[in-house]
Amino acid sequence: MFLFLVSVGMSLIFGVTRIVNLAHGSFYMVGAYLMVTLVELLPERPWSFWLALLLAPLGVALLGGLIEVGLLRLIYRRDPLMQLILTFGLILVIGTLVLIAWGPDNKSVSRPEVLAGSVRVFGQPFPSYYLLVLVLAPLVALGLWLIFYRTRWGMLIRAATVDREMLGALGVDVSALYTQVFVFGSWLAGLGGALAAPTVAVAMGMDGDVLTTAFVVVVIGGLGSFAGSFVSALLVGLLQSFGILVFPAISIVLLFALMAVVLVVRPWGLFGRAEE
Amino acid sequence: MTAHAPRVAGAIVLVLALTPLALPPFFLQLLTEIAIVGLFATAFNLLMGFGGMVSFGHAAYFALGAYAAALLVKKAGVPMLLALPVAPLVAAAGALLFGFFIVRLTHTYFAMLSLAFAQIVFTVIFKWKTLTGGDDGLLDVWPPAPLKSPATYYYFTLAVVGICLLALHAVVSSPFGYALRAVRESPRRARFIGVDVRRHQLVAFVLSGFFSGVAGALFAFYNGSVFPDFAYFPKSFEPLVVALLGGVQSFFGPLAGAFGFKILEWLISRQWPVYWPLALGGIVVLVIVVLPGGFVGLLGSRRWRARPSA
Repeated sequence: MFLFLVSVGMSLIFGVTRIVNLAHGSFYMVGAYLMVTLVELLPERPWSFWLALLLAPLGVALLGGLIEVGLLRLIYRRDPLMQLILTFGLILVIGTLVLIAWGPDNKSVSRPEVLAGSVRVFGQPFPSYYLLVLVLAPLVALGLWLIFYRTRWGMLIRAATVDREMLGALGVDVSALYTQVFVFGSWLAGLGGALAAPTVAVAMGMDGDVLTTAFVVVVIGGLGSFAGSFVSALLVGLLQSFGILVFPAISIVLLFALMAVVLVVRPWGLFGRAEE
Repeated sequence: MTAHAPRVAGAIVLVLALTPLALPPFFLQLLTEIAIVGLFATAFNLLMGFGGMVSFGHAAYFALGAYAAALLVKKAGVPMLLALPVAPLVAAAGALLFGFFIVRLTHTYFAMLSLAFAQIVFTVIFKWKTLTGGDDGLLDVWPPAPLKSPATYYYFTLAVVGICLLALHAVVSSPFGYALRAVRESPRRARFIGVDVRRHQLVAFVLSGFFSGVAGALFAFYNGSVFPDFAYFPKSFEPLVVALLGGVQSFFGPLAGAFGFKILEWLISRQWPVYWPLALGGIVVLVIVVLPGGFVGLLGSRRWRARPSA
């Protein structure tokens, strides 16, 4: 689920702007850290967790917007590899800034009171927070689908992934669309991080972990494909969970081997389109 | 190369040879590291600058060289002077195996598959505790006595790096090197005139892997130990940043970049170790946005510039 949010944002950004945003994992991390701070700062009320969940992704979206307008916009016309390297530089910058702002210690976010306990599912205790995540996942997927396929904005995004020049020639402000998409993608990563915060230790290095996995998800699913991200996030999630049970030592190798196979057989991913 | 290049090279060699007499050992270590990083970045730039292929996983070959050297010495009891030339062959073999798949792809996908293979190498090193020591690495792989002192190891590194750079320069100036530039400029046209594009790319990949392996092996003996970090992805970005700093269009750009990179690293991490990644990332961002030609490009030195497609 968290993986899906991060990957779909990354995939969306690539689809429209042709930038592989390596800093996407950092956005996820910033989302989680903002969640930590907001939950601490806000008064202890039943609604404060939800307010934090609303605000943290918005903060990340703002950060994404600043980066897009301040840096990426300057280099869209350059070699795609330069863009890749630039976003890598951002990983280091954001990672260090987070370290300076929040310090090296692990943080945790307590779950909201309503969801702190567990419920019994088939006789097994099951943390209710995960239930929220399970409910939210299809909702977010549905929401994204509605946005992409039922709104004018979604249509523009899909048009941009097919042919940006033509879209620009038809009078659409492509530059503004880039910014919107980048902000939206960052928001999704921030949401992923904010939602994940109560389930994991919020720590340095979570950017790299999520980036490598999201990267695999996006490549397997096909860069720029919405359905691809969904299916392959599921696939990778399952592979990770069962891989750890069956071959604990090599589950990560398994993941990258799968990605290597997909890249060789279908370089554009399972659901992507071939490029020329 | 122009007529006074040999004189410039001679002057540089003289300065480097006399340095140990003038500087405290610390700077020798810094210079040794610069030489090793310079070789690593130059090997990397054979792909990026001359072949137009950006690898995001060159740490794999650096680590293969370093681990092969360490394992040969520690587990097989091979003398260091024999391990040093053998270890890069292991890196080259790895580059051949992975490169076979990687050169089938282009641009972004090329970069990503190379990264994927490097992550596999990292994971294998990290998990295979009985052979590689896992997270603890392999310790105590110092070279034998005469080479152990910073000054002798400095000369030794300079000599090995010098030989490798000459070899790489020969590759770049050979017909193969020019065919490689043709492949960079236009794979399709290169194919029309009869260049086997994939084979040229693969050969370049293997050569680059080999010399990255030399850098790795040199570093293993310099450091006296090897760690899985050598294969981790930030390491893969080191030659990239160095080459970018120095300028990817010239053969000597990465060497200049190595100087700048290491000296900056030393200056910054000495005072504020925490800020080093911030500075590094900031430099990368700045170089890309402001200085596309790197520092050598800034000097406007067109002398050593790789001429596009001969």
